[in-house]
Amino acid sequence: MVSKRFVLKRLMLLVPVLFGVATFVFAILHLAGGDPARIIVGQRASEETVRQVQRELGLNDPILVQYGRFLLDVIQFDFGNSYQISKGNPVRDVLATRLPVTVELALYGQTVGLLLGIPLGILSAVKQDSLLDHTTRVGALAGISVPIYWSGPILILLFAGYFDIFPAAGRIGSTIFLDNQWTLAFDVGQYTVTIARDLPLTGMVTIDTLLLGREEAFFSAVMHLFLPVVTIGVYSMALISRMMRSSMLEVIRQDYMRTARAKGQGAKITIMKHGFRNAMIPVITVVGIQFGTLLGGAVLTETVFGIGGIGTLIVDAIGATDYPVVQGAVLTFALLFTLVNLGVDITYSYLDPRIQQ
Amino acid sequence: MSWGMADDDKSVERRDFLKTAGATAAAATTAVTAGCVSGGGEETTTEGDGDDGGNGDGSDGGDGDDGGSMSGTLVYARGDHPENYDPQQTTSGEVAKVTNQIYDQLIQFQPGSGGALTDGLAKADGWELSGQTATLQLKEDVTFHDGSDFTAADVKATIRRFTDENYSNYLGTENASGYAGFTFGNWIDDIDASSEYEVEFTLTQKYAPFLRNLAMFAAAILSQDQITSLDDQTQLGTNPIGTGPFEFDELDNANQRVRLTGNGDYFGEGPNVSEVIFKTIGQNSSRAQDVINGDSHITDNLDAESSSSIEESDTAQIKSKPGINTGYMAFNMARVEAFRDRKVRRAVSLAVNTEAIVNDIYQGFAVQTGQPLPEGVMGRNPNVDPYPTDKDQAQTLLEEAGATDLSFELATFSNPRGYNPSPIQTANQVKSDLESIGMSVEVNQFSTFSSYLEYTSAGKHDACFLGWYTDNADPDNFLYVLLDPKVDMDAVPDGQDWVSFDTEGYSTLNVGGWANTDYMQLVRDAQQSYDESARKQKYQQASKLAHDEAPWVFVDHAKTLRGINEAVSSSSFTVSSVGGPFLELVELN
Repeated sequence: MVSKRFVLKRLMLLVPVLFGVATFVFAILHLAGGDPARIIVGQRASEETVRQVQRELGLNDPILVQYGRFLLDVIQFDFGNSYQISKGNPVRDVLATRLPVTVELALYGQTVGLLLGIPLGILSAVKQDSLLDHTTRVGALAGISVPIYWSGPILILLFAGYFDIFPAAGRIGSTIFLDNQWTLAFDVGQYTVTIARDLPLTGMVTIDTLLLGREEAFFSAVMHLFLPVVTIGVYSMALISRMMRSSMLEVIRQDYMRTARAKGQGAKITIMKHGFRNAMIPVITVVGIQFGTLLGGAVLTETVFGIGGIGTLIVDAIGATDYPVVQGAVLTFALLFTLVNLGVDITYSYLDPRIQQ
Repeated sequence: MSWGMADDDKSVERRDFLKTAGATAAAATTAVTAGCVSGGGEETTTEGDGDDGGNGDGSDGGDGDDGGSMSGTLVYARGDHPENYDPQQTTSGEVAKVTNQIYDQLIQFQPGSGGALTDGLAKADGWELSGQTATLQLKEDVTFHDGSDFTAADVKATIRRFTDENYSNYLGTENASGYAGFTFGNWIDDIDASSEYEVEFTLTQKYAPFLRNLAMFAAAILSQDQITSLDDQTQLGTNPIGTGPFEFDELDNANQRVRLTGNGDYFGEGPNVSEVIFKTIGQNSSRAQDVINGDSHITDNLDAESSSSIEESDTAQIKSKPGINTGYMAFNMARVEAFRDRKVRRAVSLAVNTEAIVNDIYQGFAVQTGQPLPEGVMGRNPNVDPYPTDKDQAQTLLEEAGATDLSFELATFSNPRGYNPSPIQTANQVKSDLESIGMSVEVNQFSTFSSYLEYTSAGKHDACFLGWYTDNADPDNFLYVLLDPKVDMDAVPDGQDWVSFDTEGYSTLNVGGWANTDYMQLVRDAQQSYDESARKQKYQQASKLAHDEAPWVFVDHAKTLRGINEAVSSSSFTVSSVGGPFLELVELN
């Protein structure tokens, strides 16, 4: 059982972390230079126009005033309006549209990593120094070493180009659009009654297509997400399998494992019942940290596969000196990362109650 | 009883309905717990094909076939997905290629002509520029996508929204793009729209390029009804309503797509397809592969490698045309004393191997040049060749100027741009060429284009790379805009051909401080001349003068490339140099 005090303590720690990230992002952006006003009005605007826009956006105010204003807004989760990427629209809305895209990619990537990494890690440990172990090790090292910006295009070249099995880019077929309006029509005597409603969607294509019962769209979404998920998942799988292997090797040698075997329990049951849960503790920690890496990896994966999540948004916003969008996106990443780690801490303490002490 | 989705009326079995209903409830929960809230650069790049860049003659483009038969969905893949499609709020070419489908201008560029003008919302032969007055007769029976009639009042409201601070629906200085003054504000004194189908502009001065300005993407005509109905003008770009061949249908930001549907009531030629989808793939190689696979039909902004992969495929092809753009390295005379000596500038121009840059680094996707204007634009001087690479002569000139041990900073941006697809490699080539004649060059690399522009606009560089894509295919758009300092003639001291960046009226689009009064006189006279042959002559003289005085190292004019899938009827797609893309003419096989 996880104590409330433990969770509360962890939640309180989020405040200084997010404050630190906010300050860091603000400082980096303002130190990096670049004039948002010039980007907004473009090369063709006169210097006078640029100065006027700077005044109107408050870019000429002392840096501390700008910082104070920024913090005050951030507390209310208000990052202002986008300067350029989604000009005039609240950053909050932009993030709400883009966040599910990245989360969907990262979740599937993590799932692939876990589903492949854990069994491979266990098998490697159990069959230590076998051909399987060596093969897994080489595969894992390759998975960690090969950068996404190389593996992504190679997968596209092979599976979208040479074999032509998967699409090269995007999240769903070019011509498939999801309409979330549903109609209920039924006959009452000679009349037909129609009720039309807009239903909320999650923003995750694989889920939304299922919700709407669009089988062809779901299939298209799966085919589109396959390569990016594999790209990101292999990286995750590599680290998880290595961690699982070393953790399991350590657990296998514990006295309680030997005792269980001495009592006559089968090898498989001993490993799965006694070994697995104990070996998972360090793996869970890695998964938490890994999720952050996956979010970072999403920046590259999204760019390579033409997926418009937060990763692409950050890259575009940095290029466009869109301060509000960069600040909002980085803080959202930070919040997500810390929340996932909070989840990891809670799981961790559930697996090993001593940690709460 | 039957359940169906609104879009395709697909019937669903009861069991499926129950499953779906359950899933929907789960989705709603997911959305709530996730805390989701629903809702919802590069400068404009207009590319050249090298035809006559002179003022158009209003040749009749012909009225259309009232929409004709529309079939098929055309998918256009691009590299970026802006979320606001208001032509007055942007300088982005990615926005322009969408808004050009939705809106019309009063006068338009002829598809594939490279800058010749044709009728848009103004009647064929229905425009006149005389003295400080431009008069345009407007087409009748043109309607906006919302069904309202197009009249002169729409023209006036459009321009006032963009430029008039006293207009109740003014867009605001912080929202309007730099095109506000550049296209209209600097040149229009008054607009008379008292007649329903005639509009008269009173100009601030005689200004020959004015009609071409009316054809720029930023001069798209908006609906007065929409303008006046909006409480927040910045929101116009999320539901743009124009008179163009395609209507705005859906902005799908999560999937980085825009869907347009064919306008069956379009007054011009086309559209031939019922739907156009703009999708976004940032990576060039992925975008090229998408076209090869047929998931997209047309793409642009390709680099050499991606173009090659398309060319080598069996299912797609590359179409290219010379571009109306220029890439250069500017000397900052306001900062580096040595650059004020023409011999030094010429020496650098002779030492830099621009032929190697164009052929080896840009891999032949650009042409070498020795003057600001590209092929086909009025005023390009046919007798001016690129500077040859002659390091001996360069050395001699440097010795004569006493600048043999010159060292300077060369500022460059990092990300590829059309006119300079490999800025770092180009900078290294320049560095290596100049170091071989004893100069010392320090390359100063900027990671974002905005910080780069801020730096060069402030005149902090010794020398810098820059370039320009035309807005209206007029020579004034290069020769006056980029090389005239826009200061009073009297502000240039006698015997001096440069001014400092803080001189009153100075335009930082001239990043070199060059202020040659002979040149300034030529381009200013040409700007106010309505005699085309006299104008052409002045621009040719100005081009020769620019070549001889070498305020820039003239590097290249990039070609315009498009990747086309075999599903597109090849003859129906024309690579557009300026304006467009003209997707209303495209047919699918």
